[in-house]
Amino acid sequence: MQYQRTERSRPVDPPFSPVLLAGVALTPVPPRLLQPLFDGVMAVVRRRHPDILERLSAYPDAVVGIDPVDLPFVLILEPRPDRPRLTVRRDFSDMTTTAVVRGPLSLLFALAEGRLDGDAVFFSRQLVIEGDTEVVLALRNAVDGAGIDLDADFAATLGPLARPLRRVGLVGGRLFDRLSRDMDLIRRALVGQALKGVDAQSARLAELESEVATLRRSLRQRERP
Amino acid sequence: MREAKLTVGPVLFNWRPEVWRDFYFRLADEAPVDTVHLGEVVCSKRQPFFAPHLPEVMDRLTAAGKEVVLSSLALVMSERERDAMRALALDAGDLLVEANDLAIAADLAGRPHMIGPFVNVYNEGTLGYLAGRGARRICLPAELPLETLTILAAEDKAEIEVQSFGRLPLALSARCYHARSHNLHKDGCQYVCGQDLDGMAVDTMDGLAFLTVNGTQTMSSRYANLLGELGDLRKAGIHRFRLWPQSGDMVAVAGLFRRVLDGALDAKEAAGRLADLVPPDVEFANGYVHGREGHAFVA
Amino acid sequence: MAASQSPVELVCPAGTPAALRAAIDAGADCVYLGFRDETNARNFPGLNFSREELAEGVAYAHARGGRVYVAINTFPRAGHPEIWHRAVDDAARLGVDAVILADLGLCDYAARKHPDLRLHLSVQASASSAEAIRFYHEAFGIRRAVLPRVLTVSEIAGLGAAVPVEMEVFVFGGLCVMAEGRCALSSYATGKSPNMNGACSPASHVRYIEKGDKVVSQLGGFTINTFGAGEPAGYPTLCKGRFEANGRLNYLFEEPTSLNTLSILPEMIAAGVRAFKIEGRQRGRAYVANVVRSFRQAVDAIARGETPPDMALEDITEGGRQTAGAYERSWR
Repeated sequence: MQYQRTERSRPVDPPFSPVLLAGVALTPVPPRLLQPLFDGVMAVVRRRHPDILERLSAYPDAVVGIDPVDLPFVLILEPRPDRPRLTVRRDFSDMTTTAVVRGPLSLLFALAEGRLDGDAVFFSRQLVIEGDTEVVLALRNAVDGAGIDLDADFAATLGPLARPLRRVGLVGGRLFDRLSRDMDLIRRALVGQALKGVDAQSARLAELESEVATLRRSLRQRERP
Repeated sequence: MREAKLTVGPVLFNWRPEVWRDFYFRLADEAPVDTVHLGEVVCSKRQPFFAPHLPEVMDRLTAAGKEVVLSSLALVMSERERDAMRALALDAGDLLVEANDLAIAADLAGRPHMIGPFVNVYNEGTLGYLAGRGARRICLPAELPLETLTILAAEDKAEIEVQSFGRLPLALSARCYHARSHNLHKDGCQYVCGQDLDGMAVDTMDGLAFLTVNGTQTMSSRYANLLGELGDLRKAGIHRFRLWPQSGDMVAVAGLFRRVLDGALDAKEAAGRLADLVPPDVEFANGYVHGREGHAFVA
Repeated sequence: MAASQSPVELVCPAGTPAALRAAIDAGADCVYLGFRDETNARNFPGLNFSREELAEGVAYAHARGGRVYVAINTFPRAGHPEIWHRAVDDAARLGVDAVILADLGLCDYAARKHPDLRLHLSVQASASSAEAIRFYHEAFGIRRAVLPRVLTVSEIAGLGAAVPVEMEVFVFGGLCVMAEGRCALSSYATGKSPNMNGACSPASHVRYIEKGDKVVSQLGGFTINTFGAGEPAGYPTLCKGRFEANGRLNYLFEEPTSLNTLSILPEMIAAGVRAFKIEGRQRGRAYVANVVRSFRQAVDAIARGETPPDMALEDITEGGRQTAGAYERSWR
């Protein structure tokens, strides 16, 4: 297995989204405070989706970097069968990884839940893969095959907290879905006036809008019966 | 040890009929080879051009003591092609026919014939099955490693032939890439494949020689060269080696292989001389036999 | 849900149990899949079925009126036929509805050992003529042939009249431009081939390199393509790469594109095709559900004598492009 030095050399432009706002809010939070959450996630994976780790058993030494480009931290997945770990860090500095996956959090969530097709997302350049493509593909296939439902998994992670959170739609893909519906409004309220008449920025805005629209369309498709 | 034999495979490229004829005349007169294949393998549209020369070429080769084998088309699709294959099987008489598509296999069943490298023989099950139906000699697909060649030769049910020189056939298609590269359609191809005696070079975006296009066929850019492996192959029980025709001096190429097989020339020295017989930009490959990438060359 | 009165069967891909359930739930008549090893032509990392998963999958499909076909369509490695024999034996034991085979020797084994097992001829066998298909039928009792993607619709119609077996054709997904099962391009560049290892252009030999705004895709160290900012990317399959030939840099073999035959489905049915196959065992279950649902609607519409509705499938195709491929003569 080959390892590479990993830098956040060419971050994907994050889409304008609630996650970005949440990320800004999270910036002062030290990663170690978030670590228990991801320990919980890994415990749920081991308990509820052991098949994911089984499908990754051919890659016991893999170190996969997961970079939600709209959040101020990155994740390190080590699928070692005896002791799988999901570690949260500020960035990849001083790290060697076998592969890195970069994309907006909503996209990573949608992929984890199998709501979006990994190949399609990759073809459309919304997702960036670096390093050992085979490990990434194995991860994608393992996760996709597990039939993950993040709502249910969050419920398992958060225990008694989950139900109230779920009621307000604050977990899983629906969090994004709900909030992004209001994004246009928020954006207009915050920045719309200031950008009026500035052509270049209008173009960028249109791009943002279409990005949100694409994501939204993808999310909508899965809602259909 | 059994006597080693050399085969010259069918010309895979679209050579002008006179060039095609003279190539075989010279093989008949001068080349130290045992067997020569005739017939169009790649594109049925080319067949009519050299067909008129077929009888004289066959006579000349036979008179020179060479065994003549008739090679079939490798991808049989149309009604016309199917009829042509049936006719080939029926009209071959005593000549060995090489089946390069199973379309012709039924017509050859029960009588001695040969299986070409375009039919997938990867294991002893398939080898045994085909041998049981009359396959006497099998030229194996290019991508097999020595381990597999050894196992198949040890079965001793059919004579095993290994592709040992020339651009390796890698893929076939219904689409003509030669025509496509000239903005033409296969039906109106103007026979542009005839412009490239050894096929059309296909380079990567960063300028590496990579593949070769020969009409509907895709081949390696590098020439196979198993001079250095002949010893190991013979120890593995393989005694027949195929040389694919290229536009260079094939008589000289065959001579080098012959002398190495006879122990009259060191393989290393022969390899050096072989390099002088191919175009200067052509590199060699032997990776498949070593279980590596086909383009690799293991010294 | 799966049962339909349609004259054709919808044969859908499943790389994982989740995809199998998605396919059946979306209206697949049959699901095809492979074991998690080198015995099938989609031997991709993290993909495919264990024996237990197959048993569960068969139960799930059968309970809903669906069928399961198991692809054992690589060419057994000399010296190790038992791996492939065991795959056939296990598929038969677990009650699958057919096995899809490509290797002559393996066909011979299956026909002798499991005379009641339904045999389908894989596209990897590259049987492109009536004679070749008849050969497999007479020798091994093959009941259906998956046709190579080299034939036109009119050639398929001619074939249908001449062969005593059902014809299955690919209608959507990845598009081989070479005759399947007879292509060594992948092994030439990487040492791994569809025939021997069950993977074309394997991910282990793929690299994506970000260079400024561009992304360069490499296979086995050879540059296969470069995509500019915003340009849809493709998987670095050799035959969908950009090369320089005849003094021009372009897609010599084929553009990054996906096969889509929605518009010619009625012609296919008229040509005598019995089953429509959707490619994509390596794709996610979102893809499977999406494509299967679309084709279910189309096939049902045709069965009712209606024109199939337009489907927006561009989002999930390679390069965002679609082609009817070799089914139309102009492709050649």
